[in-house]
Amino acid sequence: MRVRPDILRTYQGVHTWTGIIAGLVLFIGFYAGSLTMFKYEIQQWAEPISVPVTDPKSTNYQALIDKAIEQYPAQMAAGFELDLLTSDAPLSWYTQGQARGMELDNQLQTAHLHEQQLVLNEQAEHKLADLIDYLHRTAGFIGEIGHDQSGVYILGIAAGLYFLALVSGVIILLPTLVKTFFALRKEKGPSRFWLDSHNLVGIASLPFHLIIAFTVVVFAFHDLIYGGLAQFYGDKPLFERTPPAAQAYNISELTPIDTQILAAKRYAPGYEPIHVSYNALSSTSPSALFKMSNKNAVSRGPDTDYLAINPYSLEVLYTSYPQGEDSFWGNFTASLFSLHFGTYGGDWGRWAYFIMGLFGAFLFYSGNLLWLDKRMKKDAHKTSTHVMAKLTIGVCLGSILAVVAVLLLAKWANLLIGNINHHYMLCYYLIFFISLAYSFKQGTNKASYNGLITLSILTACLPISSAIQGLSDLALLPYYNGYSVDFIALIFSAGFFFIAKRLKQKSVKDKIILDHKTIEFVR
Amino acid sequence: MTDVKNSRKEPTWLGKSLAGALLGLLLAFILMAFFAWYGPGGIDARDKVQFNMWMIPLLWLSIFSLTYLFNSSKQAWLILGGLNMVLYSLFYILRGGL
Repeated sequence: MRVRPDILRTYQGVHTWTGIIAGLVLFIGFYAGSLTMFKYEIQQWAEPISVPVTDPKSTNYQALIDKAIEQYPAQMAAGFELDLLTSDAPLSWYTQGQARGMELDNQLQTAHLHEQQLVLNEQAEHKLADLIDYLHRTAGFIGEIGHDQSGVYILGIAAGLYFLALVSGVIILLPTLVKTFFALRKEKGPSRFWLDSHNLVGIASLPFHLIIAFTVVVFAFHDLIYGGLAQFYGDKPLFERTPPAAQAYNISELTPIDTQILAAKRYAPGYEPIHVSYNALSSTSPSALFKMSNKNAVSRGPDTDYLAINPYSLEVLYTSYPQGEDSFWGNFTASLFSLHFGTYGGDWGRWAYFIMGLFGAFLFYSGNLLWLDKRMKKDAHKTSTHVMAKLTIGVCLGSILAVVAVLLLAKWANLLIGNINHHYMLCYYLIFFISLAYSFKQGTNKASYNGLITLSILTACLPISSAIQGLSDLALLPYYNGYSVDFIALIFSAGFFFIAKRLKQKSVKDKIILDHKTIEFVR
Repeated sequence: MTDVKNSRKEPTWLGKSLAGALLGLLLAFILMAFFAWYGPGGIDARDKVQFNMWMIPLLWLSIFSLTYLFNSSKQAWLILGGLNMVLYSLFYILRGGL
């Protein structure tokens, strides 16, 4: 296909600059996004092995709730959480903080029944899974704007640029696409090989990338867009609200939990409740938000579907379920959510999204390398090129190193420290900035080799830690369920080591891109 | 970009970018406004507002990324600006205000 040369050049410029501006931020967003696919497994892996205190099959939830309401009416009325699958304490409420927002100091009161007596435990809420999610949504930028993290807006803008980079990338490929799509030309030198694989990954996963780019823009800016859209709706309200009841409810009249669960199950067949969040139970607008899981259906939340009911009247307030024929629009947008969250294909879907996310990160990394290579060949002494090279290595490796260090910290410090969430943050930023500084001080060649070796060692320490902890208390070992995380960590450790070795072995004439020695060398 | 000098036509990405960003956004809003009122289901269709909101960034980014296909940034401004003028005026007449 022919595209006019000057337009092609414009698109080349657009592709280059949008990619360079947004690439590093998106790199973090993507690989952390891969991790979010398994964030609960990772958090569970990091928690100390514990003996189950309850059996979800035989727990008497009604007795538990009744006892808790009897002894702690005010706390329970404010709202509580009920986990229907856990073998730990199923009931909990916040004594400090709340579920919404990114708060690191939340304290939870957990409760379970032991021989008909309420057993209470106070503990800090463990936020490892949320922090992985936070890194995914903000790329680590701190600070808040309104009720959202500022990093969310930064990623929103980056995603907009990324959309432009995708379209422009496709357009500049069009003239040669048919000829070179499946070509991975090794013989023409590493830079050609990197370009080919950059293009192959980009084109092959284009639909995924377009969806991610545009949904991120929506996630970041939906409030503003609704605000704009409201201007065109005139006097029409955008959303209709359920009017509050005339009189406040009283928690002592709460419908039995089994009736509630039955009502939730009846709403649609095939969905099983796994968690309930109760809120404002002594007010005029109480709610019970059911997390409903159906392994055979597409889910529209990050993990499950939602069903909110009034726990007194059992009236349905809100649901994320696919609706009937009359709600084509709701169903359509709901599926866009699941296309971002990767929750439409069960566990295989999660693995596919995990891999696609890593490929996405590769796309940005290779894009940066290609840009660096081109600039190096043109003028090897330009400061900006060197700065970008160091940034690329420092940010990409630093961020991964920091996450692995946090996991390692989580594995060990959870045994010792009550509230570890602040240490996670400190550890992440410390390692990240040390890596960045190291890359600037020692140059990209040394930084990438040493960074990869360190990364390989740290990653290998994850399963080693599991083994040490597991073997130190054999009685608890049967309750350990983090084997898959350990296994994947081993594979990644080997992978990092392999890449590092390759960097070292390459003969000098091959060193154009993959190895940054040329950058140092030309200097 | 160094190869710009020897080219017949200069790539004009700044003017086009601005046109795509600003006029593209306005155009996306007005298109979805028409869709909201006069598209299938009308303004009262259940949950349609969510769809309308979702489509705005998609339209915007699509227009934005294709703006560079215009021959010049002047053409981009004229065509996108003209479309906006026509559609916003039409909406104003039909609905008696924004």
